Amino acid sequence: MTIEPDKREIGELDALFAEVASHKAAPSADLMTRVLADAASVQAPAAARPLAQGSSGFFSPLWVALGGWAGAGGLAAVAATGVWLGIAPPAALETVTDAIFGSSVTLQVFSADDVLGMGI
Amino acid sequence: MDQPRPETEAPDAALLVAFANGDAGAARLLAERLLPRTFAQAHRMLGDRAEAEDVAQDAMMRLWKIAGEWRQGEAQVSTWLYRVTANLCTDRLRRRKRSMPLDAVAEPLDGAPSVLAQMHRDARATALSDALAQLPPRQAEAVALRHLEGLSNPEIAAVMEIGVEAVESLTARGKRGLAAILAGRREELGIEDDD
Repeated sequence: MTIEPDKREIGELDALFAEVASHKAAPSADLMTRVLADAASVQAPAAARPLAQGSSGFFSPLWVALGGWAGAGGLAAVAATGVWLGIAPPAALETVTDAIFGSSVTLQVFSADDVLGMGI
Repeated sequence: MDQPRPETEAPDAALLVAFANGDAGAARLLAERLLPRTFAQAHRMLGDRAEAEDVAQDAMMRLWKIAGEWRQGEAQVSTWLYRVTANLCTDRLRRRKRSMPLDAVAEPLDGAPSVLAQMHRDARATALSDALAQLPPRQAEAVALRHLEGLSNPEIAAVMEIGVEAVESLTARGKRGLAAILAGRREELGIEDDD
C-alpha cells in the first residue's frame, strides 16, 4: 500500500467498522445442536474409562492418574508382594540382606513383663 | 424466588474441567455461554453466515478436545477462544484471497452507479471482510479484534501473545492498508463522494 489514506477515508472506515461491529448475528439452533453433538462425541471415549462413569469425587483425578482399575490392580499386586517379602523373605534375599546389613541384633528396651513400659 | 444454580455462575475454566470429568451439563452451559460470541466474531470477520458457522463449530470442537489438558489459571477460556477463532478466520481469509482475482477488491469502479451501493448492509460487511483478506494475516487479526470486537490493546496483546506496542503497530498499519484498499470501492460500499 503506497497511498496514504486521508482523514475522510479513515473516517469512512471507522463508520464501516462501527456498522459491522454492531452486527450481533446469533447462532442457529442447528449449529448449537451440532456443537453439543461434538461435545458428546469428545466426552464419549472419556466416559468409557472406568472412573468417568459418574465418578466426580475428590479422588477422581488421582484415580485417573493411577490408571483406573488396571493401574490399581498392578499397584495392589506390587504391594502384596512387598508385604509377603517382609513376612517371609526368600533365602536368597535373606543372604543378600545379611551381607549388606550383617546379622540382626535384638535390642530389648522393655522387660518382657513390662510391655507397656510403665515401670510397674 | 428461584435461586440460580451454582454451576451457572461457575467460571468458564471450572466448567471446562467439569466437562473433561464427564459432566454433560457443563458442555451445554459452556456452549450457551461461548458459542454466540464465537459465532458473532467469526461472522463479523468473515461476513458470511455459513463460513462463520463452520469456524464457530471448529473453534468449539477444539475447546472440547483441549478440555482434558486445560490448566486453570494459565489463560482465560475467552482469550483462548478469541485467538482460535481469529486464527481460523484469517486462515479462511487467506484462502479467499488466493481464490480472488488480484484486482477484485482494489479496482475502482467506473462512473456508473453501482448496484452494490443499494445492497443490504451485509454486502458492506462482506466487502470489509474481502478487504481484510487482502491484509497480512496478523494485521487483519489485530484490526478485527480492535475495531470489530472492541478489545483493548492489552487484551489483543494477550490474545495474540505479543506486546502492546506490536499490537499498536499492527492495528495502525492494518487500518491504513484497509482504508487504501476500500478507497477503490467507495461507490460499491454506498459511500457518497461529496467532492
